[in-house]
Amino acid sequence: MKFAPETSTVKQALSAHAVIGLVAGALLYLVCLTGTVVVFYEEWQRVEQPAAPEMEQIAPAAVQRAVESVMASEAGKPPTTHLYVHMPVADLPRTTITTDSQAVHVDSDGRIVEPEENAWAEFLLALHYRLNLPSLIGITIVGALGAMIFALALSGVIAHPRIFRDAFRLRARQSGGVALADWHNRMSVWTLPFTLAIALTGAMIGLASLAAYGIGLRYYGGDAEAAYAPIFGEEGTPDPAPRPAPNVAKALEYMQAHYPGVEITYVTLHDPGTAGQHIQVLGEHPQRLIFGEYYEFGPAGDFEKTAGLADGDLGQQAAASTYNLHFGNYGGLPVKIAYVIFGFALTAICATGTYIWLGKRRRRGLSEPRLMAAWDAVVWGTPLMLAMAFLARLAIGNAAPLEAIFWIGSLAILVGNVALAERLPGRKILLWLLGIGSAAGLILAV
Amino acid sequence: MAAPEPLLWLAAAIGVAGIGVLRFAWSKRKRSIPLNTAGWALLALAAIGGGAAEGAWGVSVVSLFAMGAAALALAHAAATSPQGKGSASVRRVRMLPEMGGKLHLGRRVVTFLLVAIAGLAVSVGLGVALRGLAGIAGMSEANSNVAAFFAVPVLWALLSFFLLMLERRRGQILLLLACCIPILPLFLTGAPA
Repeated sequence: MKFAPETSTVKQALSAHAVIGLVAGALLYLVCLTGTVVVFYEEWQRVEQPAAPEMEQIAPAAVQRAVESVMASEAGKPPTTHLYVHMPVADLPRTTITTDSQAVHVDSDGRIVEPEENAWAEFLLALHYRLNLPSLIGITIVGALGAMIFALALSGVIAHPRIFRDAFRLRARQSGGVALADWHNRMSVWTLPFTLAIALTGAMIGLASLAAYGIGLRYYGGDAEAAYAPIFGEEGTPDPAPRPAPNVAKALEYMQAHYPGVEITYVTLHDPGTAGQHIQVLGEHPQRLIFGEYYEFGPAGDFEKTAGLADGDLGQQAAASTYNLHFGNYGGLPVKIAYVIFGFALTAICATGTYIWLGKRRRRGLSEPRLMAAWDAVVWGTPLMLAMAFLARLAIGNAAPLEAIFWIGSLAILVGNVALAERLPGRKILLWLLGIGSAAGLILAV
Repeated sequence: MAAPEPLLWLAAAIGVAGIGVLRFAWSKRKRSIPLNTAGWALLALAAIGGGAAEGAWGVSVVSLFAMGAAALALAHAAATSPQGKGSASVRRVRMLPEMGGKLHLGRRVVTFLLVAIAGLAVSVGLGVALRGLAGIAGMSEANSNVAAFFAVPVLWALLSFFLLMLERRRGQILLLLACCIPILPLFLTGAPA
């Protein structure tokens, strides 16, 4: 018994596969590449600011002192709407406090030590999350790319009836485009579960704003934020009347006493210093995909409730699992390494897809050096400019204009490589520069 | 971090074994249904074992082991691949014109608008309709909203694929219109939030 689709279906599926891949190709490649690099988001921060104070844990009283110091340092400024305390965890053993206007590292006694300087890590994350575009537009485009990866996986499987049968057949040393096609198809098959997980979670995160807008419009009187409230919990009612800092220490002591197996990753103060303030502790549960559970406390540090991300409705647990499943931070370094390997495979699948299409055209007698040069510029110029941005961060400092360096540099490479398509060996030059840039970055970072 | 359940490691081993059995099955000259079935069954068993041991986290970890084993098998295939000459497919995908053909830019733009804009709008509408149906069916507010959040990208991806599988413009428009039918009640009636 055979389950082979009709020839016309295969042909049309291949067309659909190519259309989606080629239209979204460069952005797909960029998002996959940056997603792979940003798996080490925490590690990049340690590379950027190696001397920042680190600790295995911090006492609740020290956190209280740090919160009060930061709030006191902002006296006279517009009050921050949120104050986040990043607690020391294995991946990033630092205590960092972020408000609407600043971010500072504190030591284990709760003293402010220095400003946080993680421009490179934040640039990478913003590039992956929203292509450095305004938030809503950028994240929606990236979400759309996730949905397109899902469509590419579906059309790719249907367009290649023997894709599973040939799943271990890798003719890596065959010429005539065979090796390239084999790499593309084999990596696609064996990263399929990873690809689907990444694509669907990414698409869900990215398109959530649009979906929430629709749900809000229909069911919550136009309030899109209200669509999230049943899942992640509600924001409190603001009351701007001044109040002293909330009792964070008591909340943390409660967590230690009642939830010793939960690793606290963040403490968030909503509307701190006002009568409407409340405390939210984010606790990570071992061997769970959820990013954590929210433990809600009143201003006096009295426990009120949990949001239900760990044990509430299935939908809450599923929604809370999308982030870790997407970014690969649910099993320490081994899972991160696996995500980097499969992430590079997915990036290579994006790169080889267009090369396969160009190769087919060349074998049909259509030589297109400018198209090839353009794709070379994307494939090799993008990592080169990421390396350049990283070098700029190390050489210039936290204020380096990373977005401008990356985008202007990438555009210049694209234009230059296309303009000099038949006069210079563009790919070879880009590869050399990428090698030199990566080596320099590695040396400077270490 | 607490140590995972021993069943998780057993499930991971079963997953790796499943990859090994499929590798063996697909290396044979003739298709072997018992071996194919055994390979896929082992992979399914591994996922079930991972889920029984550590829930969704366990399924994810077991999947990484299986994919890692397949990656190693592929690396071996690449390393032992002989030198040779070949010629890959030259199938046309009609993405660009050839031999001086027309670009048909207008047609391409319309296809893009149908798939990317109309398709996405219809998918959001379907997601909102699903949220309403879930509410009517008695699902909690959180479950209903999350169902819509997950449905939008899945529906859009499927719709994009099927739209591009249709060669005629009429078929594409009819498909989009057919997908609008479940959205119509939203304009006529409400659903409990």
